[in-house]
Amino acid sequence: MASIARKNLFEDVPRFLVAQAGIMFAVSLVTIQTGILNGFVQSTGQLIDQSGADLWVSSKRMQQLEVSPPIPLQRLLQVREMEGVAYADPLAIRQVLWQTPKGQTTVARVYGFQPGGAFFTQWQLVAGEVGDLKTPYTFIADRANLNTLDLHEIGDRGLVGSLPARLVGITKNTSSIVSGAILFTSLETASAYTKTGTTIRCRIRAGATECLTALEDPYNQNSASSTPPKAPEPISLADPISFVLLKAKPDQNLEQLRQQIEAALPDTRVVTNAEMAEITRSFWLRRTGVGFVLGLGAAVGFIVGVVVVSQILYASVSDHLREFGTLKAMGASDWVIYRVITEQALWMAVLGYLPSMVLCLGLGSWTMATKGILILITPAIAGGILGITIVMCVGSALFAIQKVTHVDPAIVFKA
Amino acid sequence: MTLSQTRPTQSIFNGSYAASTPLISSFRNSMAVVASGVEMVYDSGAEPYAVLRGIDLEIQKGDVQLLMGPSGSGKTTLLSILGGILTPTAGKVFLMGQEITGMTRNQLAKFRLKNVGFIFQGFNLFPALTAAENVEVALKVKGLRGLQARRQVAIELLEQVGLADRMHHLPKDLSGGQKQRVAIARALAGDPHIIMADEPTASLDSQSGHAVIELLRQLAKNAGRTVLIVTHDPRLVDAADRITYLEDGMIHG
Repeated sequence: MASIARKNLFEDVPRFLVAQAGIMFAVSLVTIQTGILNGFVQSTGQLIDQSGADLWVSSKRMQQLEVSPPIPLQRLLQVREMEGVAYADPLAIRQVLWQTPKGQTTVARVYGFQPGGAFFTQWQLVAGEVGDLKTPYTFIADRANLNTLDLHEIGDRGLVGSLPARLVGITKNTSSIVSGAILFTSLETASAYTKTGTTIRCRIRAGATECLTALEDPYNQNSASSTPPKAPEPISLADPISFVLLKAKPDQNLEQLRQQIEAALPDTRVVTNAEMAEITRSFWLRRTGVGFVLGLGAAVGFIVGVVVVSQILYASVSDHLREFGTLKAMGASDWVIYRVITEQALWMAVLGYLPSMVLCLGLGSWTMATKGILILITPAIAGGILGITIVMCVGSALFAIQKVTHVDPAIVFKA
Repeated sequence: MTLSQTRPTQSIFNGSYAASTPLISSFRNSMAVVASGVEMVYDSGAEPYAVLRGIDLEIQKGDVQLLMGPSGSGKTTLLSILGGILTPTAGKVFLMGQEITGMTRNQLAKFRLKNVGFIFQGFNLFPALTAAENVEVALKVKGLRGLQARRQVAIELLEQVGLADRMHHLPKDLSGGQKQRVAIARALAGDPHIIMADEPTASLDSQSGHAVIELLRQLAKNAGRTVLIVTHDPRLVDAADRITYLEDGMIHG
């Protein structure tokens, strides 16, 4: 026997297509918002995931990866001397002022680490070599940040404060959607960038003082200063860093090592790599409005879906009220009719879900490739969205079911 | 054809129909429909409005019974009550020997499922389903299991109404007469004892109307079904065994 639900659905193809477009819109909205939220959460901690560290040592007042008061470099040496530590490297994160090749300025973050060290070896380098960071005033950037930095290829240059910065490598999947552009550099370069201020050069000419631009390219021949900057100074014990990343010796109990470090260095907090990622993700999700805004978007999508599907099912049931009344007059129980309406809702859910998912996956690939924005649609999320879509459609059917429940079978006798 | 006002003696109907004296039992077995003192009053507006007033009626098994009368006389309301779709505000209705006025909504639905087939003026076919599928839906509702079995029975029923060759057509591709014949085939699903038809020829032209009338008569005579038809159509008078006139909610002789 033909499915009444399916046939009712396809009875009026244009209306069906309009309905499916509405459902697709709603499902896509929910999927994209959820995907962006998931991608955002994932991206805020992906650098930590890729660090390869067992433990992170930070200031006791550390909030998250990018909000952590500095600790002295001496902590690194102290950690290295501890039993159970295989090796440890510093990580310095600072905010700087980036000047693009076209002279526009923007805020960026410098991540200073040990090139060729034990950490951040899991990067996906699209171009260049990490080893090139040993050259002073060079950096690696995520390809998602190139637009912000106004750079295009290896060798392009900009300024950090009054110091030059040359792009020597391009990575992918290291940048968070929400943080600004990141410059991965050597610790020494990062230290120099952090210390650099804005230099205002003034000269006295004919008794008058003329001050030049604060930010200028020292390599520019028209610039007031044509001499290249001297190499960065070696870092000292007093230099500030943000974290000490460490790898424990094989079979070392991490909890024990954590307690040992915290006992020896009372001004520090020690967390595992997973905890660090969770702290950072949780910060962005709960302590900023981003999670709420994206969640709200998904909720709006859900509500839109409920409204669209409700209207379509209600209209469909209203159109076939006499036929449903006929079934009731024959003696069909209400459940027979509920099943028809529910099946219709399920068809709408599935037929709305499938193209939406294809659309969202395509959109996700496009945004990742062109904007570096991660719309993360995992199988679990795809399954969850299917569940939400089914709940949305079947829930919407309740209005139609309520309508048909109150149909007086005597309606069938009205011509 | 016998033109009669069917008003039984009050002694038989005073709540004693279900009793089992030999006389009453014999009477009960010969009747498909018995209505006793049926009233229907609506509480709409300032004053109650009585649509039916003290209707007493019996219809013999195998008869084609017409229920005629002017618009607003209460014919369709009486049909709804006799078909177990509406419950009267007073009185009793017995179908195939069972009192239906005391049944719950679910009991009534189950009773209709087994015993009553309906035909409507507006056909009420699912427009998205073919002729055969419309019949199959009814068969499924009536509890016939198996896709093949339902398809086979649907074809047989459509053959009975002379529409086997149109079984794959949608209602929009059928004429009014053909649609009504599909509706009749659907009403026959589950082999009900009683067919109740509301103005079955009102939307049909003369030729289609006659075909439907003849079909309904055959259904009654060949299979021993009782057919109750509400109609304005004088063409149906010749097909009827009995005719009851209703006016102002009362039966008139």
